[in-house]
Amino acid sequence: MSDDSVLKRVDAIVARVAGPARLPRDPTPETPLGEGGYWLDSVDLLEVIVACEQEFGMSFDTNDDLSEESLSTVRSLADTITRKTR
Amino acid sequence: MSADRSTPPGLRALWHARPSYYPRTLWALLLTLDLLPWPWGEDILARLFVARAFLRTTRLRQALRWAACQPRPRWRLALALCAYQGRLVAQASMLGRRGPDELRRFVLVRGGEHLPAPGRPTILLGFHLGAKGPDVALKLAGHSFIRLGGPRVSRSWLNEAWRRFLSTSQIVVPIDDTKFLSSALYEARRRLLEGGTLFTLGDGHGRPAFQLDLPGGPLPIRSGWLALRRHTGAVVLPVLSHLEGRLQVVTIHSPLPAVDPDPARDLHACRAALGQLVQEYVRRFPEQCPSLVYWDPDPGVPPDGTAEPTSEALHSGERAV
Repeated sequence: MSDDSVLKRVDAIVARVAGPARLPRDPTPETPLGEGGYWLDSVDLLEVIVACEQEFGMSFDTNDDLSEESLSTVRSLADTITRKTR
Repeated sequence: MSADRSTPPGLRALWHARPSYYPRTLWALLLTLDLLPWPWGEDILARLFVARAFLRTTRLRQALRWAACQPRPRWRLALALCAYQGRLVAQASMLGRRGPDELRRFVLVRGGEHLPAPGRPTILLGFHLGAKGPDVALKLAGHSFIRLGGPRVSRSWLNEAWRRFLSTSQIVVPIDDTKFLSSALYEARRRLLEGGTLFTLGDGHGRPAFQLDLPGGPLPIRSGWLALRRHTGAVVLPVLSHLEGRLQVVTIHSPLPAVDPDPARDLHACRAALGQLVQEYVRRFPEQCPSLVYWDPDPGVPPDGTAEPTSEALHSGERAV
């Protein structure tokens, strides 16, 4: 499980990359990062991943950490970061 | 010609390797023509595509429309485009190309002096223009890099000789898998930050960064390579490829301007530099640009002039990012 501070910081990064035009009306940690949610494409997701790397001072393993599941929602990404930085 | 005759995959395996965007009839034709030595299948397919243009005239009309915008005889150019499209399909399918050794003498690389010293992040930026597989040609000429692109599907790519030749240096991106593509971009960034050299395609479907205005229609330039450039400071060398008879000439051009901290100025500089190169290419080799003629805005299919999934469904085997 991700702690609240990680969740908030990831949420802020996602909101910044998505920009006001793509921000869902009532975003939750379960809002999809892609279609039907923030509508982030692959380049946006790269921006999110790199921003998280810098924010949390860690790096991701491409095979283990960046699965379809971990890049699904703010919460799943925050969970991955929490697991990596614990 | 010497050929590596390692055990070919069985017919059943080949049949099942058919990508969904290839209709069965085309796949059967490709597998049959592949039995012939290179470049027979390529020549036959080029002629078949010209013949087909008179049977199914949509593509001929498209070619005529595009050719009318070029300073060349319209009909001759349109038919040359149809023929070249067939050649591209054959090249994408590696028809008759049994192994790397037999093709080396048909490759010429120019502009190698533009490559920076090893250890500096470098992006070799290809385009869906001219001869297929400039990355393969570069490797045949002895250049070393990681390819970021889609899966390759053909009888030859299942051949052990080709697999050995290319297997260790690819980041393969499944078509239309945004999340996987983002992790592939992340992996590409990591390799670049380690000082690696990456080959990828700069044009095609996906989020456009800008478009190049060309006679006959624009060419969309994608944003993935620009993001990699921005995150790594990589030197970007445009790579254009054309055929001179049987010879595939790959030209490595001088680097794009270094990253400008102002994003708008940066895009403008890249657009200006690429625009000049591509316009000159189209002026010199219009018959080798069917991708510009048959550009299909369907984001699921690459713009290589072979994209028509419901009829020909031809695919480059490369994926721009």
